[in-house]
Amino acid sequence: MKKLTRISSGLYVALCFAFFYVPIIITMIFSFNSSRSFAKFTGFSFQWYEALINDSEIMAAVGVSVSVAIIATAISTVLGTVTAIGLSKSRRILKEWVLNINNIPIMNPDIVTAIGLMILFTSMKLEKGYLTMLLAHICFCTPYVITSVYPKVRELDVNIANAAMDLGATPFQALVKVIVPMIKPGIYAGMLLAFTMSIDDFVVSYFVSGNGVENISMIVYNATKRINPTINALSTIVILVIVAAVAIVNTAPIIKRQRWFVRLSSNIPLKMKRFCMLVLCAAVCAGLFLIGGEKRTLKVYNAGEYIDDTLIEEFEAENDCAVIYETFDSNESMYTKVMSGERYDIIIPSDYMIERLAKEELLQKVDKTKLSNLKEIIPSLLNRPFDPENNYSIPYFWGNVGILYDRTVVAEEDLKGGWEVLRNPKYKDNIYMYNSERDSFMIALKALGYSLNTDKKSELDEAYEWLLEQKKMVNPIYVGDEVIDSMIAGSRAMAIVYSGDAAYIMSENENLGFFAPEIGTNIWIDGMVIPKDCKDAELAHKWIDFMLKPENASRNSEAVGYSSPIESSFEEISSSVYEGNEAYVPRQDNEADEYFRYQDPETKKYCAELWTKVKSQ
Amino acid sequence: MRHYKNLVKPYLVWSFVVILVPLFMIFLYAVTNSGNSLINIQFTFENFLKFTEPVYLEVFITSIRLGIITVGICLVMGYTMAYIISRCKEKVQGFLILLVTIPMWINMIIRIYAWKSILEPLGLMYTDFAVMVGQICEFLPFMIIPIHTSLSKMDKSFVEASYDLGANPIQTFFKITFKLSIPGVLNGVIMVFLLSISTFMIPQILGGGQYMLIGNLIEKQFVEIGDWNFGSAVSLVLAIIILVSIRWMKKIDKGENS
Repeated sequence: MKKLTRISSGLYVALCFAFFYVPIIITMIFSFNSSRSFAKFTGFSFQWYEALINDSEIMAAVGVSVSVAIIATAISTVLGTVTAIGLSKSRRILKEWVLNINNIPIMNPDIVTAIGLMILFTSMKLEKGYLTMLLAHICFCTPYVITSVYPKVRELDVNIANAAMDLGATPFQALVKVIVPMIKPGIYAGMLLAFTMSIDDFVVSYFVSGNGVENISMIVYNATKRINPTINALSTIVILVIVAAVAIVNTAPIIKRQRWFVRLSSNIPLKMKRFCMLVLCAAVCAGLFLIGGEKRTLKVYNAGEYIDDTLIEEFEAENDCAVIYETFDSNESMYTKVMSGERYDIIIPSDYMIERLAKEELLQKVDKTKLSNLKEIIPSLLNRPFDPENNYSIPYFWGNVGILYDRTVVAEEDLKGGWEVLRNPKYKDNIYMYNSERDSFMIALKALGYSLNTDKKSELDEAYEWLLEQKKMVNPIYVGDEVIDSMIAGSRAMAIVYSGDAAYIMSENENLGFFAPEIGTNIWIDGMVIPKDCKDAELAHKWIDFMLKPENASRNSEAVGYSSPIESSFEEISSSVYEGNEAYVPRQDNEADEYFRYQDPETKKYCAELWTKVKSQ
Repeated sequence: MRHYKNLVKPYLVWSFVVILVPLFMIFLYAVTNSGNSLINIQFTFENFLKFTEPVYLEVFITSIRLGIITVGICLVMGYTMAYIISRCKEKVQGFLILLVTIPMWINMIIRIYAWKSILEPLGLMYTDFAVMVGQICEFLPFMIIPIHTSLSKMDKSFVEASYDLGANPIQTFFKITFKLSIPGVLNGVIMVFLLSISTFMIPQILGGGQYMLIGNLIEKQFVEIGDWNFGSAVSLVLAIIILVSIRWMKKIDKGENS
């Protein structure tokens, strides 16, 4: 009996640890995979580590994570220790007050701390970036230092500092030479906590950072949408470093007692130690200055997965400048960010959003004389109703929205119902919708035969009911760019996608087909615009012209799969890489297809609320 | 000894600016409706009235329900684990606890991402199951450690005494062991509840966009919709829920002790 309980409890512990460690180990194993796949290990390779080292964005994020953690830890350790010592000498009421306030960031959910700081920084007109991230980290690290140092200070004999001063020490000497050494264990514990809190943080950094400053967590979060083995390589390194650090910390007492260590460490003179510390500090400061270089910069804000990355590097080299490239999930989140005070030099929104930004006087006119490649654009994409004379926007990509379906799963005759196929109970749990308010309402409105630009509440209510019923009938999953890898792997029967994504996905999975229902869909043009507060309009125009250059446009179009607005590029790609791909050539002859137009604020708010409701039920 | 009193002053100023002022601003946004500018303030209660709409109420209920389920599963799994560990030899205990803590040191997002790569090929992504697995894996250590701490501190002679007085193992467990470990259990419960009710990235990554919990609702208001006023109101309510539940737990703890 006893043996049985022993075996079963051993088994239980092993299972629990498997639960903790299997995902971690799998991540590590697949970082050495020779292909992108997560399902199959095709061979051993170091290619993702190479890619990692060459990825300047990830390396910058590592730099940010580490330097913020070191500086925030240093400052919060000093601040926290000093406060804890001061607290022990303060009056009781003050003591209780400070400790209670100190508990707020510890007890409060991260997200509340995060938005509080975000509101604070915004109202102080602090530009979001490295500094705001650092201040926020100091803010949430210090309380942990105080809570771990304060008990140690209280354990001290009250007279100890007095004794030191009686013997001739100044208050500062007594502090540094007597008190601090005695509370060292508490300080170390607080320091360690602060460091791990800072380097692990996602939520606070996500809300308070900006201007392209990202830490490791933010990079990984943005990368979770696509399969990206480089992230596995990064994870593996992080994991190994942490395991090594934990191992060293835990074996440190043993090492310290060993004779070789004692001899070695006593041989290093104190000056040497101080010198080492100085070098370390200098290195951190130097790292900081390196991050803030002095080149011309161009801040570009584009949708995710929407550019051939090599073009950015080429533009940088050509113009001797640095491009700060940020991405957004949807036009709406882009607009929110811009309204919260972020400044950009180039934004690439969709038609209706261009109209909105222009109406709200947030854009400057594009100087067409500076664009030598303007003549290359397909004429039918110019002078569209959202920007009648292309005063504000220059086309970047264009396409429509349709249903990407798995021919081996979806029956052809089911497609005859148009958008209604999305509510066919046969495909329950098997449908991806696009996680975007306007696109989802577009589908419902078109399915009901209404205009997608309607402002009639009754029609919007009907569309809302349509979506709600769909949710009850087939339980669709609302995703974003995750759709790309998932559909390539063939994991669902149908997905709502933009034609360009469809073209790319279909080129990777031949079982898929794409169709836009006859009853009408949305056709769109995404354009490059220059905001009013752009700091370097000349460089911004250069960027636009660079993107219009036929060779660049072809490369860009080939990499992401979207239809190029440049006539020669469009013809070249549609007859080579994406030949016969029905998604690459969006139809232009259906009367029922519409562009999105500007929504008045009331309609917009109404839709946003309905959309939140659809998703929350 | 008065020399060091002034050392508190910098932190007094600092904590006022970065802790109290932001809280006050959240409150201010929650009771006004003038959008992102504070120029022409208009006080209103409408942000809170929105909660009476069934949809938003539903979000809260779902989050709290999911939080309670997570806490329940973590409690059963974590208690068993902590109990088994606490009965090992001291050196083994130290090692096992180290193994429990290592995942906590590794970046949370990295571990969620790791789960995604397992669940995706199995076809289990975007389900309740995926979200539960992610949450439990992330939060279980926060349950194991405090329980283990109070179990290992426990005086073993109580258990022996209980046997000597004729209690069977089950009685002994519930009347002695479990009762003495209640402070640890409460600590664990608070931690896991706090974490699971406010998370937004686990449902976002593993559950898909239709997974709307309190955290996601807040994030949507700030990042996508731009309704800072309603977002602030939701955060305020979330903070209050957490504070009330902590108070409540502490009360139980005190009741048990007396």
